[in-house]
Amino acid sequence: MIAYNKQTLDNLAVKEQTAAALRRQLITTEEATAVGQAYPVNFYTPNPVIRIGLFILTVIILLAALGLFLLMGASSSESAIRGMLLAVGICSYIALEVLVRSNHYYHAGIDDALLWVALLLIGITIGFESHMSPAALYLIAAVLTGMATLRFADMILAGISYLSLVMLMVYTIIQTGLGSSTVVPFAVMLFSAGVYFVAKRLTSLHICRHYKNCLIVVEVLSLVTLYMSGNYFVVREGGQALLGTELQPGQDIPAGWFFWIFSGGIPLAYIWAGIRRKDVVLLRTGLLLIAAIVFTIRYYHHILPLEDVMVLGGILLTGGAWLLIRYLRTPRQGFTYEETDEALLADKLNVESLVIAQTYTPVTPTPPDVTFGGGTGGGGGASGNY
Amino acid sequence: MDTQLFEKLHREGLINSDSLTKISHAGTTRLFSLHWEIKTLLYLGVLLLSGGLGILVYENIDTIGHQAILAFLALICAGSFWYCIKQHAPFSRNKVTQPNTFFDYILLLGCLTFVTFIGYLQYQYSAFGTAYGLAVFVPLVVLFFSAYYFDHIGVLSMAITNLAAWLGVTITPFQLLNSGNFSSNQLIYTGMLLGLALLAAGLLSVKQHFKTHFAFTYENFGAHLFFVACIAAMCSNGEASVLWFLLMLGIGYLIYKKAIGEQSFYFLLITVLYLYVGFTIFLFRLISNTDWVVSFFLYLVVSAPVVAVLLVNLNKKIKHDRLQ
Repeated sequence: MIAYNKQTLDNLAVKEQTAAALRRQLITTEEATAVGQAYPVNFYTPNPVIRIGLFILTVIILLAALGLFLLMGASSSESAIRGMLLAVGICSYIALEVLVRSNHYYHAGIDDALLWVALLLIGITIGFESHMSPAALYLIAAVLTGMATLRFADMILAGISYLSLVMLMVYTIIQTGLGSSTVVPFAVMLFSAGVYFVAKRLTSLHICRHYKNCLIVVEVLSLVTLYMSGNYFVVREGGQALLGTELQPGQDIPAGWFFWIFSGGIPLAYIWAGIRRKDVVLLRTGLLLIAAIVFTIRYYHHILPLEDVMVLGGILLTGGAWLLIRYLRTPRQGFTYEETDEALLADKLNVESLVIAQTYTPVTPTPPDVTFGGGTGGGGGASGNY
Repeated sequence: MDTQLFEKLHREGLINSDSLTKISHAGTTRLFSLHWEIKTLLYLGVLLLSGGLGILVYENIDTIGHQAILAFLALICAGSFWYCIKQHAPFSRNKVTQPNTFFDYILLLGCLTFVTFIGYLQYQYSAFGTAYGLAVFVPLVVLFFSAYYFDHIGVLSMAITNLAAWLGVTITPFQLLNSGNFSSNQLIYTGMLLGLALLAAGLLSVKQHFKTHFAFTYENFGAHLFFVACIAAMCSNGEASVLWFLLMLGIGYLIYKKAIGEQSFYFLLITVLYLYVGFTIFLFRLISNTDWVVSFFLYLVVSAPVVAVLLVNLNKKIKHDRLQ
């Protein structure tokens, strides 16, 4: 099933574990070298930065080749164009298989690009028929990305595959005419919860050891779709867009109270469960979804102007974080504020400073409008809501 | 850490008992780290607070609450700097670790509110009169001083962005790659010179052993700014594109040598990719015949694999150097 040599994948896992142990100085360098010799890894995996470069270049090559083919047959029929897309897609796939098998490419950038372009082109060719229903399109996407995930254990494809499955379910229910603004949410809810628990169970199984990262992605996304399926905004607006349910002003969706409780409660439940079980996936997903709570409430109830919410939220977050840091100065109940030993690429590249620079807009030296008699200036930086 | 795996390695005689005890001890006493979660919340809090106050001040101009908000802003700014001055670790030419992470974010809050405050003073009271540059220059000095005095790379990148804004160039990471940024020749030259100056600042940081860890930030901004400015120059002044390309090649070669010396994959990659883009533009400026689309695709199909092979070899070279 998986394209890579299973023994080498296992050796790679051993290598990563010993490298982590070496970073924490739990084992000696000699021991790490000895393990490395006993468990050889012959994959070609360049540095992550170089991987990005090779990815970009491979995509350029493939697109240029496709462009050449299309130019040569510019006047030809639609089916000829489809044939060309399919040919380039299949060629990319064959190249990928060859590179993985004989050159042992593994996360090298080139293989990622070949896989994605191949899938995209094959998918476009199959889905080219304009009269296909959305459900059929999502089925194609789910099957293609699902098969690719099984073969290459690509995390992003695993995520796309799962999301396509969810959309496939939504559209199938709508097409059968059973869809209503209560059936669809609960069906998705059940499905997401089921997938979450299955993925969680599979992670610990020995036969799924090569798909751990894919399963984590599916875990996160199933938690997100579980929340989204019961989020008041999604149910209300999604119901109007997909099912065509008309709501009069002042009218509420059926079981609106339930969806409100769900919208506010689920992220908190995730965070609570994440802390109780020391589960990073639950905790971080819950924290992310707090933003969704704020958005949902603010969309329907203008309790406070945005800037007040920002200031209040800022004070709460800063103060809360300060209290937490103080509380965790000495580790409590198995929690700590200390950094873990995992070497992060983000740290090496100073990602944080780039984020700071991006979110910060300096004041530009432009003269403000000339004002007479000390009145308030018009424009000039403010959003002008007076 | 998979203790079972290490037990297996121990049975195979690859790991001695001493190490195994250490590993199983580490496995049982492992703590759950909330480091990144708390840091992210803190950063978000600081951003929301300073951003929200920035809007509030302008929204409430000429109302009674206005002075109160301004006072609150000043209070936060002064309080933050007061905290930093009281708590900071002694200044050193080398990397300084502050007493806690909270410190870094309080400094950030102080700097962000300071910039808002100065901008507002100028807007409402024309505190700096018609010397508009001064209203940007004052925060600039404060930012650079804070970055060095309290050792904060985030504030340093704010300062660099501010320096560029003072000169009229926008270099926040996403806008940097937008070539519409360089609408006039004067801006192109400014960008190029600023890029070179930043690269020089990075070099000097290392040479003088003065905040060596700031070098990456300087060089990162400098290299991108310089290359993008060169590409913009090649696009706008067609006749002189040879000169610009040669300049790009020369500076690119220096960055390349430095990247190899420091074993930096990142600078290697951006140099190779920018030079490839520059060469492509240079080439198609020379042969501007009507049928350029086909030759362009052909050129890409032939040249991109060459660059890819080059990258693969450079990757091998650095990896080899690292093992030495």
